[in-house]
Amino acid sequence: MTLEAALGQALSGISLGMVWFLIAAGLSIIFGTLKILNMAHGSIYMLGGFLCYQVTSTFSHIPGVFWLALLVAPLVTALVGGCIEILLLRRIYGLDMIYQYLLTFGLILIVAEVCKLIWGVGYNTVAVPWPLNDTVSLFGLSFPKYNLFMIGMGILVFVGLRALIGATSLGAVVRAVTHNREIANALGINVPRVYTGVFMLGCWLAGLAGTLTPPMSVVALGADVSVIIDCFIIVVIGGLGSIPGAFLGAIILGFTTAFGLYIIPKLAVAFGFILMIIILIIRPRGLMGEPD
Amino acid sequence: MRNLVKALIVLGLGFALVAMPCIDPAPAASTEKPIKIGFIHSMSGAMSMYGISSEAGAKIAIKEINTAGGVLGRKLELITRDDKLSAETGLREAKDLILTEQVDFLTGTISSAVALAISSYVAKEKKIFIVNVSQSSQITEEKWNPYVFRINTNAVPYWGYAPAIALGKTWKPKKIVSLGFDYECGKNSLAAFKEKYLELVPDAQIIDELWAPLGTTDFTAHISKIANSGAEALFLACIYGGGEIAFTKQAYAFGLYDKMKMIQPCAGDVETWSDVKKGDPYPKGALATCRYPFWAIDNPKNKAFVEEHKKMVGFWPSYGAMNEYVAIHALKKAIEKVGSVDTEKLIKELAGMELDTFIGTVLLRAYDHQAMMPNWYGIIEFTPDLPFPHVTDTHTIGAEGYHTIEQIKNLRK
Amino acid sequence: MEGIKAKPSWLHGRALRAILMSIVLALLIALPALISKSWLNITIEILIMALAACSLNLMLGYTGMVSFGPAGLYAVGAYTTAILLTKLKMNIVPAMIAAPIMAAIIGWAVGWVCVRRTKVYFALLTLAFSQIIWTIIFEWYAVTGGDDGIVSIPTPEFFFSIANSYYFCLALVGCCIFALWRIVNSPFGRTLQAIRENPDRVEFIGVNLKRYQLAAFVLSSIFLGIAGSLYCVFSGSAFPDYAHWTKSTDMLVMCLLGGIYHFSGPLAGSAVYTILAKTLSKHTMQWNLILGVAIVLLVLLMRNGVVGFVSEKVFRKK
Repeated sequence: MTLEAALGQALSGISLGMVWFLIAAGLSIIFGTLKILNMAHGSIYMLGGFLCYQVTSTFSHIPGVFWLALLVAPLVTALVGGCIEILLLRRIYGLDMIYQYLLTFGLILIVAEVCKLIWGVGYNTVAVPWPLNDTVSLFGLSFPKYNLFMIGMGILVFVGLRALIGATSLGAVVRAVTHNREIANALGINVPRVYTGVFMLGCWLAGLAGTLTPPMSVVALGADVSVIIDCFIIVVIGGLGSIPGAFLGAIILGFTTAFGLYIIPKLAVAFGFILMIIILIIRPRGLMGEPD
Repeated sequence: MRNLVKALIVLGLGFALVAMPCIDPAPAASTEKPIKIGFIHSMSGAMSMYGISSEAGAKIAIKEINTAGGVLGRKLELITRDDKLSAETGLREAKDLILTEQVDFLTGTISSAVALAISSYVAKEKKIFIVNVSQSSQITEEKWNPYVFRINTNAVPYWGYAPAIALGKTWKPKKIVSLGFDYECGKNSLAAFKEKYLELVPDAQIIDELWAPLGTTDFTAHISKIANSGAEALFLACIYGGGEIAFTKQAYAFGLYDKMKMIQPCAGDVETWSDVKKGDPYPKGALATCRYPFWAIDNPKNKAFVEEHKKMVGFWPSYGAMNEYVAIHALKKAIEKVGSVDTEKLIKELAGMELDTFIGTVLLRAYDHQAMMPNWYGIIEFTPDLPFPHVTDTHTIGAEGYHTIEQIKNLRK
Repeated sequence: MEGIKAKPSWLHGRALRAILMSIVLALLIALPALISKSWLNITIEILIMALAACSLNLMLGYTGMVSFGPAGLYAVGAYTTAILLTKLKMNIVPAMIAAPIMAAIIGWAVGWVCVRRTKVYFALLTLAFSQIIWTIIFEWYAVTGGDDGIVSIPTPEFFFSIANSYYFCLALVGCCIFALWRIVNSPFGRTLQAIRENPDRVEFIGVNLKRYQLAAFVLSSIFLGIAGSLYCVFSGSAFPDYAHWTKSTDMLVMCLLGGIYHFSGPLAGSAVYTILAKTLSKHTMQWNLILGVAIVLLVLLMRNGVVGFVSEKVFRKK
């Protein structure tokens, strides 16, 4: 493997990782603050994809319709998330984890059926938007501009989230509630509203990821289940609740996938789980998570 | 209030528990009992378009036959079940269809695991099972039993021999890299392709074999490795459906379709590509095999079938639909020849029968109960007659695409 | 003051329970003569899943260990028997005995790692391990048949009659459930429940927490292995999906549906779930939607499950 090929493969690995990060970031935030393992996160991601398809096909006469979808679809998924939180999740906070697992699993089934009823069982495609439907020559590869755009979006989201949580007063409120719900409540913070807001943010992120992937992929049923396990792996490796952790975990998984192709392709499938187990044993809070 | 709701739920469940076993479908009140055909397919989930399409094909045939008076004066009846792409569920439904609904025949399945499970079950219950989509060659080769028939092409020609023969007649590249989904179909497909192609072009080489977990939709890492591999051609092993569309978009964006020759068997599948329009990424110039290029079959019955299918379910027919149509008509022909619904006699009649299809007659080979359905091959392009990309300049590969009886004898040892 | 009439509630409950159980037992024994072949098939499936759910509940309801991966051990049992019967052409008795032994060994190895952690980390570890088991089954074509699974498993002629299969199942499942009953009502079982209620206090009184949790894990694996082995013999096949996390979720739903804090909960849950799945999926293609809504309602409104609810209202137990 030449240096150039290695760099090209690394870039591919980063591209893979950034897509995963976008999905996993929302899951991490939701677990960090709400302490809920949201199995339905992949469903929101899939819903975002379908919404993207819907917007781009309904308004296809508008030039730049994809950018409209990028604006609209995540907002819709955030609203859906808000409804789920207020109507359902609020009743099960503080309960044993199994109830959260099963309730969100029930949501997976419901969202999948609704998507099927609305959008049918076929494969749907979204075109790569102008001006990104071109390639750039990097490391001997013609690398698509859209992939570079996704990498850029991943970094942008990462920086934006860090700024939001770390540097704004809103972020301070979220951090307070994450640290200690009771005391935050005692200090007058409207904790239920913060919970709803954080869940909506997580769903917004999932919807954003769902809107960004279709031009490079396909919109179809089944994405909900196939993506959720990878997300858990990333979030565990990085640390439940840590955004930088999710970023790091995603890059690690992206690299192991990209370079695993050269080294031990057979094991590639199980590698994520093995990493997850190792982390859970030696450092359960993940690479960058808060200690329990 | 809460307790009332809970009480109602428990009462409801209790009633259901007691009542359900007693509610079994009442027997038909008609004088002539219909001939029941059990149809098991993937009717929900990612692969359901094949199930829905196959069911439509069967329904069209049944409507035709029943309007003309039925078979031996009896109407045909189709009972549909969803196997949810799970062998466990499929087997459970097969048991129910045979034991409760008392069907006379079983047909369907897309998943080979489901087909294999049902296949071993029908041998015990002594009922005929006609496979219309499941591809694994084992169904009619290593794991065959006399109650199983397949009216469909299978993995050996479709995924392996036919692309190899087609490649040997067209481009004959010497350095090939392969990418496949990491499961049985993928492995067997590559093995069959290699075997046939190296027989035809002995100095060719498969310089690298890449695998992706089943269900992958992001092939970026694989594509960058392929682009750097120095190969002249890429062979896709069992990459189909949503994964194939994703791969095509990514490979197209990376310029792979211009950089090397692409052998993409499933690019000929209408079900996958029917929503792709001119201007979208598509398998440009790829060599593809196709199981039912309805646009290339010049036959008024075929055209009528395509129209009827479109009217019934709203999309173009898949090869599954065509196969079910042929299968139902084959059953009619056999039953009328034999004069009754006698499984053992029907098996003897069907084995070696000439099937009526839209492209003339096709032999249902007696040794393995495999219909010698042709595989078409051609180059993927857009033409003015259809809105989606499809195989153009088509040729067919017939019985030479299948394993010979000798080869099967060896496999069955 | 008015005299307090009526027997003490516990006696009322106990006698009623004994009568109910005898009726159920009599029904079970007479079943083959009462219902059709296909319903007998369903009943066998209910029995097997009831055993699986009960095994899971040993960890879930009694020890408070939420496992997302029982299907992994269940599949180990199924595949052990399947491979021994097909590849090694073993006799059915050792093939079925090997299943819980294998499940115990793997359960011990997996459990040892998993009990190092608690709560959500424990759950995620069980999920990861069951997915690894799934991957091994899926990839190791030479031994497990990969995604084709193992079919046409040779079973003795005795099982060709559905009534025979049913009685065999009933007997075996009955013994296992009786064994589980004895376990949960023993001092060991009471310790497990104490661990569920307050793990720290249990440690303070000198109990080795990890050892008990591991024991619960292994015992659970043993009975899951038996259930898997039974299912493989009954259906004549084994598939990788036996180990998939969605199958684990089915088992969890059965436990929850019946009620995790009662011994008979998983039994009831398995019956209701299987019957509903079978009958509803015949009449509607939207079975998944109904199941999803049912699970959500269950979690919101009826957390103690059917048995919990009935027990509360009818027997006035808390």
